[in-house]
Amino acid sequence: MHRLYTRSPIAKIMWGIVTSLIGIITLLLVLVSENPRMEAQTLSWEGRSIENGATLFANNCATCHGPNGQGLLGRAPGLNSYYFFTDTGRLQDVGWVGSLEDYVRLSIAAGRPSKTDSQWPEVMPTWAGQYGGPMRGDQIEHLTNYVMNWRESALAQTPDEDPFQPFEDVFRPTEFQNTAFLLLSEEEQAAALEEYQARNIRSPQEIWESEACFACHNLEVNQVDYAGQNGPNFADLHERAGSRVADMTAEEYVYESIVSPRAFVVETYEEVGQMPENFAEKLSEDEIQALVAWLLDPDREVTEEE
Amino acid sequence: MGLQENIREKGVLGAAAAQADDVFTRLTAGIDAGEFRRMLQGEPPGRPNPRLKPHSEGFLLHIKPTYYHESVTRFTHTYRLGLLSTYLFIVETITGILLMIWYAPSPERAYVDMILLLTNIPFGQFLRDMHRLGAEAMVAIVTLHMVRCYLTGSYKPPRQFTWFTGVLLLVMTLFLSFSGYLLPWDQLAFWAVTIGTSMAEAVPPAVVGETVNLLARGAPDIGANGLLRFYLLHVLFLPLLLILFFFVHYYKVVHFGISLPADEEEVGEDTGNRVPADKRVYYLPDVLVDETSFLTVMTALLIVLTVFFFQAPLENIANPQSTPLHTVAPWYFYWLQGLLKIADKFIAGVLLPGVLLVLLMAIPYLDYNPSRRGKDRKVAIVAGIVAGVVMIIWSWMGTPEYAVEGAPAVEIVQDVMPEEGSGLAREMGYKHLPLGVWRTDEEYDVHDHEFNELLHEFNHAVDYYRRADPDFNAPVGILTITQDQPSLKKLKWEIMWFDAEGTPGDYEKTFWLHEDSLYWEQYGWKHLFTGYVADGWKSLSGAIVGE
Repeated sequence: MHRLYTRSPIAKIMWGIVTSLIGIITLLLVLVSENPRMEAQTLSWEGRSIENGATLFANNCATCHGPNGQGLLGRAPGLNSYYFFTDTGRLQDVGWVGSLEDYVRLSIAAGRPSKTDSQWPEVMPTWAGQYGGPMRGDQIEHLTNYVMNWRESALAQTPDEDPFQPFEDVFRPTEFQNTAFLLLSEEEQAAALEEYQARNIRSPQEIWESEACFACHNLEVNQVDYAGQNGPNFADLHERAGSRVADMTAEEYVYESIVSPRAFVVETYEEVGQMPENFAEKLSEDEIQALVAWLLDPDREVTEEE
Repeated sequence: MGLQENIREKGVLGAAAAQADDVFTRLTAGIDAGEFRRMLQGEPPGRPNPRLKPHSEGFLLHIKPTYYHESVTRFTHTYRLGLLSTYLFIVETITGILLMIWYAPSPERAYVDMILLLTNIPFGQFLRDMHRLGAEAMVAIVTLHMVRCYLTGSYKPPRQFTWFTGVLLLVMTLFLSFSGYLLPWDQLAFWAVTIGTSMAEAVPPAVVGETVNLLARGAPDIGANGLLRFYLLHVLFLPLLLILFFFVHYYKVVHFGISLPADEEEVGEDTGNRVPADKRVYYLPDVLVDETSFLTVMTALLIVLTVFFFQAPLENIANPQSTPLHTVAPWYFYWLQGLLKIADKFIAGVLLPGVLLVLLMAIPYLDYNPSRRGKDRKVAIVAGIVAGVVMIIWSWMGTPEYAVEGAPAVEIVQDVMPEEGSGLAREMGYKHLPLGVWRTDEEYDVHDHEFNELLHEFNHAVDYYRRADPDFNAPVGILTITQDQPSLKKLKWEIMWFDAEGTPGDYEKTFWLHEDSLYWEQYGWKHLFTGYVADGWKSLSGAIVGE
């Protein structure tokens, strides 16, 4: 005979009370540990995201940006780089006003156009699915987190360790394509460039080609293709230059037109007005003099490109 | 009687006491304070029994019988498994509704919501773990409830239909649990459900199978539509269906009474709902106290298990382009996965489960043996045990242990550092992985116990497959650990071997590990606690030594 229910229910109620207390105490333990737990989990998911980003980077980005993010000359700039992470580096050069993280995120998601004038002729592809790329939003986030995780090691680099990286529209002499140059003050940069120019005097024709004068001006009379339409033809410059402005010799007129192009604009070109105004800085005095003489030389010789 | 009159008659205190007693009586639907005290003291009820009033006046108790046969209230007769199943359903409903607050059923949000739940919601992990554990426990308890009813022959007349609805409830419980599987939108969820729904495709003729599959997934493959459909099944359709059938089931249970232990009634008799006056155990207070205390114990157990011993898994985000190495169904469908390995999709995935289900529902109509006593039911009990053993064998065949051995090199790396989850290498953690090149064919003198264990395991795995696979000769495993970024180590696993013809082969797999990373096996309070204890011990011993 089972007589389980003849006794007082007090024992069972006590069981209930004791186990309730155990449950409540356990929940209190959870309560006091919730903050550190959430903190640890938050850090953990950031870490997991970086791990995922590392895999994505190795599979998709390392071919151009290098396995350690040091970049590849002519293909993609270095990311594990002091210049990239410092406030006065890349962001300033591209004129980005947001955070570096946003810059990285946007560049990965939407890609970047090629810089034909610079050392970066390759296009950065778009990666985000919303812009036609192959990746989901969370993968873009992982990659961003991975790239941003270089900050600590990149900011610890000395200029010598910093991989090659300037990101400018102007082609700077190879000698100055390094962080050490970028970290100089403006005056120091100008002095260094001047010193460089003094060492490397280009021939007038080299200047004509490397500064792209030919894009707007022509040297031959009958040339009617697009080149030269934006600026006056120089085939008969030696005949016209002396009579353009009163009290100015042909040499003075041409010299003035190179260093301050807005001084005497030839009538039909007023609307165009595209001539850059920085040749005084880019060319040394000797180079300008030689260029003037070359332009005014009726028998100048142009060696054909190979 | 008005209040003023009352005060005049009994004084202020007396009137207040009478008023309080009145309120108490209303709340308990008919039990006054004096009767309540007598119940607690274990005194028998008066005549007529005033403790029956809540059953006739209150909604909640009108569902419950007023008294039970003493024999069926014994714990060892029913183990209260039916009650526990119902209770777990309530736990699932409450935790599920709370989880719905932070969840949106879309592929863009679902996985992120899981992470937000874990990182930003106090008790978020607790809720998730409890919901998951509760769901798995519910499947187990419902199954055990069925096993108990089978072994005591409780499905026999007049309870055939109770059994039938019970089987339906089991199926619904399985579907409910399985439909919730997809919602975290991780690899585990995505691939388990992809395999699960692909079985529906095998239903003949092809047009029916495809339609069923299309209806379940919302598209040829699981995506935004499939997730939404599983979500609606999980939170709305299946729970409502289950509630409906629960009431049918429970009505039958109350109507026929719980079957008595077989040896207490004549063979072929059913006396479950004919209870002699001296055998009656009234619901109030005895059974109520019993059930409440039992459920309180179970709640505490559930909380303790959730907090200290259980972490709901969360793998990487669902990726339809990459099938994980060992895709597994939830454990309660291992048997089905096992069947699928040995038979074709239609036979194993549709025909056999269908036949089994029909057989299960038809048991009471097929079993003509009038006796519920064990000694008269040798065939039925042996058949039940055989079926159970077969289920367990099929389940074992469903695990990756059986017949899914991949290439040795792949398995070795999966062994020490799996694609999903932590594995030994991640469990040891970042700080126990010294930079360098570590080869299985060389001995190292490393003073790091945990790293030695990893090297040992690596060695062991390479050696195991060398002996097991004739196409895997003179293997060498090389682990290269480098610092990829601050706080990020790169682990390159490389395996080189010769096959039977002497052609060299090699395999390479690279993983990264961040200093702060935790995998779900490391989530629990236990992990946090051990971390604290270790840190506390270090600072304490440091203070004693005087560092």
